[in-house]
Amino acid sequence: MTLRNIYILLALLLPFSLFAEEKAQKDWVRKGIYIPEVTVYGQRPMKEIGAQQTKFDSVVLKENIALSMADILTFNSSIFVKSYGRATLSTVSFRGTSPSHTQVSWNGMRINNPMLGMTDFSMIPSYFIDDASLLHGTSSVNETGGGLGGAVKMSTTPAQNKGFGLQYIQGIGSFKTFDEFLRLTYGNDHWQVSTRAVLSTSPNDYKYRNHDKKENIYDEDMNIIGQYYPIERNKSGSYRDFHLLQEVYYNTGKGDRLGLNAWYINSNRELPMLTTDYGDDMEFDNRQREQTFRGIISWDHIRSNWKVAAKAGYIYTWMAYDYKRDVGNGTMVHMTRSRSKVNTIYGQAEGEYYIGKKWLFTANLAAHQHFVESRDKNIILQEGNKGIVGYMKARIELSGSASVKWRPIDRLGLSAVIREEMYGTEWTPIIPAFFVDGVLSKVGNITAKASVSRNFRFPTLNDLYFLPGGNPNLRKESGWSYDAGLSFAVGRKGVYSLKGSATWFDSYIHDWILWLPTTKGFFSPKNIKDVHAYGVEMQVNLDVALTKEWQLSLDGTYSWTPSINHGEPISAADQSVGKQLPYVPKHSSTITGRISWRKWSFLYKWCYYSERYTMSSNDISLTGKLPEYFMSNISLEKEFSFRWADLSLKGTINNLFNEEYLSVLSRPMPGINFEFFVGITPKWGTKHKK
Amino acid sequence: MVRKFVELMALSLLLLYTSCMEWDYGYVEEFDTSGERGLFICNEGNFQYGNATLSYYNPATKKVENEVFYRANAMKLGDVAQSMIIRNGIGWVVVNNSHVVFAIDINTFKEVGRITNLTSPRYIHFLSDEKAYITQIWDNRIFIVNPKRYEVTGYIEVPNMTMESGSTEQMVQYGKYVYVNCWSYQNRILKIDTDTDQIVDELVVGIQPTSLALDCNNKLWTVTDGGYEGSPYGYEAPSLYRIDAETFTIEKEFKFEFGDWPSEVQLNGAKDKIYWLNDDVWEMDVTADRAPAYPFLPYNGTLYYGLTICPHTGDVYIADAIDYVQQGKVYRYSSDGKLLDEFYVGIIPGAFCWK
Repeated sequence: MTLRNIYILLALLLPFSLFAEEKAQKDWVRKGIYIPEVTVYGQRPMKEIGAQQTKFDSVVLKENIALSMADILTFNSSIFVKSYGRATLSTVSFRGTSPSHTQVSWNGMRINNPMLGMTDFSMIPSYFIDDASLLHGTSSVNETGGGLGGAVKMSTTPAQNKGFGLQYIQGIGSFKTFDEFLRLTYGNDHWQVSTRAVLSTSPNDYKYRNHDKKENIYDEDMNIIGQYYPIERNKSGSYRDFHLLQEVYYNTGKGDRLGLNAWYINSNRELPMLTTDYGDDMEFDNRQREQTFRGIISWDHIRSNWKVAAKAGYIYTWMAYDYKRDVGNGTMVHMTRSRSKVNTIYGQAEGEYYIGKKWLFTANLAAHQHFVESRDKNIILQEGNKGIVGYMKARIELSGSASVKWRPIDRLGLSAVIREEMYGTEWTPIIPAFFVDGVLSKVGNITAKASVSRNFRFPTLNDLYFLPGGNPNLRKESGWSYDAGLSFAVGRKGVYSLKGSATWFDSYIHDWILWLPTTKGFFSPKNIKDVHAYGVEMQVNLDVALTKEWQLSLDGTYSWTPSINHGEPISAADQSVGKQLPYVPKHSSTITGRISWRKWSFLYKWCYYSERYTMSSNDISLTGKLPEYFMSNISLEKEFSFRWADLSLKGTINNLFNEEYLSVLSRPMPGINFEFFVGITPKWGTKHKK
Repeated sequence: MVRKFVELMALSLLLLYTSCMEWDYGYVEEFDTSGERGLFICNEGNFQYGNATLSYYNPATKKVENEVFYRANAMKLGDVAQSMIIRNGIGWVVVNNSHVVFAIDINTFKEVGRITNLTSPRYIHFLSDEKAYITQIWDNRIFIVNPKRYEVTGYIEVPNMTMESGSTEQMVQYGKYVYVNCWSYQNRILKIDTDTDQIVDELVVGIQPTSLALDCNNKLWTVTDGGYEGSPYGYEAPSLYRIDAETFTIEKEFKFEFGDWPSEVQLNGAKDKIYWLNDDVWEMDVTADRAPAYPFLPYNGTLYYGLTICPHTGDVYIADAIDYVQQGKVYRYSSDGKLLDEFYVGIIPGAFCWK
């Protein structure tokens, strides 16, 4: 078989291989663990030469409909998720960096908020994501710039069903939580159509013991005669999130694929009160609403040794923040009424070209044009008329890359990437990245990887223009990152598979942007810190078929992430130099264990975060303490297969040991809580593709 | 087989049951500072993180005690400790984003009561044991409270001010009138008749007057920050104003450079000298007609956040918030500018209160 024929075969088999993976993952749930053959050297994709990646399969992503991507990352990766409460803002710290140092893409389109730079992962239901991976540090340069910590890549894939399909899941849980999921699919040889909807609602008023305040008991003369720590409810924490995802894919069967993805979000969330708030929640309304539409059309043209692809997309986000106060007669009056609108137009073109088995050339150009309108405050002007504090800005963001990947021998791969970015009118210098991997030993598939890259991150639109405080004179952040690691994989198909990796990383970030208070009562960003973030990430995965009916799987991660401020002292009194950044844990770890027997499966999830500092000086005070914590969740699932439908019943217990813990100061987290799910997939003559 | 499955699950749970987080409830510490002169420092903490603290400094022994509210009460002070005053042995600590004013014993630091049902309190001013005013931000009302019963008893509505652009700040009293500076997106000083709780007059000054003081000659002093670049409300060179309290007219305006950020107008014990921050620390006689050419203490590369003058010795205390996420530092200088002491306090030390 000639090389050309091999590539044609690969291209034609691609949809089937995707399907095989999907089917394997479904088998995981229905029939136990699918243990694939261990990937051996020479079969590693050219595109991934030297890249440090963590992939999440659909078993992890589709664990239950109540989970967001924040939950997935918390329990399945080395990323630290800073959560402000249940169904509340959740941001990530990747390799000890800040939330805006993680670039996030959905089907190739960057979805970081251009005003804030960060992404709220609590707003991404994991059931809407079919494929997700983390690109650690330097590896993110393969996809995008600005990922000084890394990138989170999420995408949807065709369902690969034939005929009509329906899946409905309902979850009922503690704190009057209701989660509903509906998916309708239709597929034939060329078309795949899918509609997914998720609705999650809850008053979210979980009880917790408030250690931060005491209730007073007074006598008649208003002398305090007793005090106690109150059991309080999470006040002002309700949410109602609706997501709708429409997908249409067309495959010509001759190497061309067209896709349409449209995702609509309608979220209405109260912002929970702090543990130190003595206000009456009935007198205040503190609420954030969001409507977002993200749409992408894509075209892939695949030939034997080359591929071109193009994408076009659009994002519309409307966000409203309202803080209201009852002025005494039941009338709620605005204290803050903030509105923002973001329109983003996106386009991307990419190409790949193989020369023989040894060379791969890629090129990619992406453009995001943002139009932002921020109306933050209504005021009365000096002249007596009304005015608005806010800004309107537009910015074009271009990011282009070219790479060459070379595998001179089966055991060695080399890759060089050059990227350049332009934000507004400012260009980055050339961003180079180099990757190498090599098989050290065929026994155990021991592979070494290493990479180095430069990177830059531009200030966000709020950093530059927010009123008050925006600083148009900010410099872009810059950094160098280095990675080196070893991995191994052993196993026997259908019996066991054991894989592991350990990676050392080291990165220097200059001109880190921080928002600091001013004497005028508002915050303003400055380039202030030089940070050295380094450490070790380890992963291990074991899948074992204990018997024909018993299957066991264990996944573990551990990371050690010192993230040290190496900037110049702000003043002689500055005690922060040489210290760990606040809110970045030095140690974190996760374990997921799954055991299944016939159609039963039991899942145990565990995560650990070491103590986080709340001060840059790393002082631990009585009021600034975030102790380490362990979190354990379990679930038990039973599948039933009838002639007319598949049914599933699942019970989950979150925070199994009812830990009192905090992720962020003064933000209470829920104790033990439960949710029960019922799922039904009717068999309306639906036939999986064979 | 099902039983075996259940047993295995139970065993795995047992193995994974590792020690959970031990919650520290804190314990109550006993303090007794009676008979001492002391200085309270309100450390704002970080907005929305609930880590405000109260520090106490004894100038005689040069000893500082941090987190005294937490240590004396085994609970947090709250979110953004804005200001504090003392009346009859009780300290009143205004905790802005916790919507509370705590009353504490100034010798033991123990709570004796609290005023709640506030919008966003900034400062408290006493008229009598049973009547006080509390100013607010994001509210167009000044709250009238009964401190003895810890109750809100009424409101003074400010004309031409909405909730959203509401801002009333510091208060000083001259006779039966209380004067209030209106700061955020405001440009005026209000005059309140305390008999009727009505605003009887107002005086337009520059953009955003930040503080207010009354000197020995019954002159009001306020300094504006001038707004900021891009503000629809305007942006101008800030000014320091001397206002005659009796006639409620501007007597003198001292203009700063465009782009200066003056703040924190303070008086010494005799109330015949005025101090303020504008990168450097400045001092001026209250009768002066020209601003001084040289500062009392020159800028040393850090942004000072708070200022107070000891009413007994004239020592000048300056607070440095450093990077705003670590313990701030307070520098104590003699009245002739010699460094006498320095000590770390809490996060963002912003306001002082003399015992």
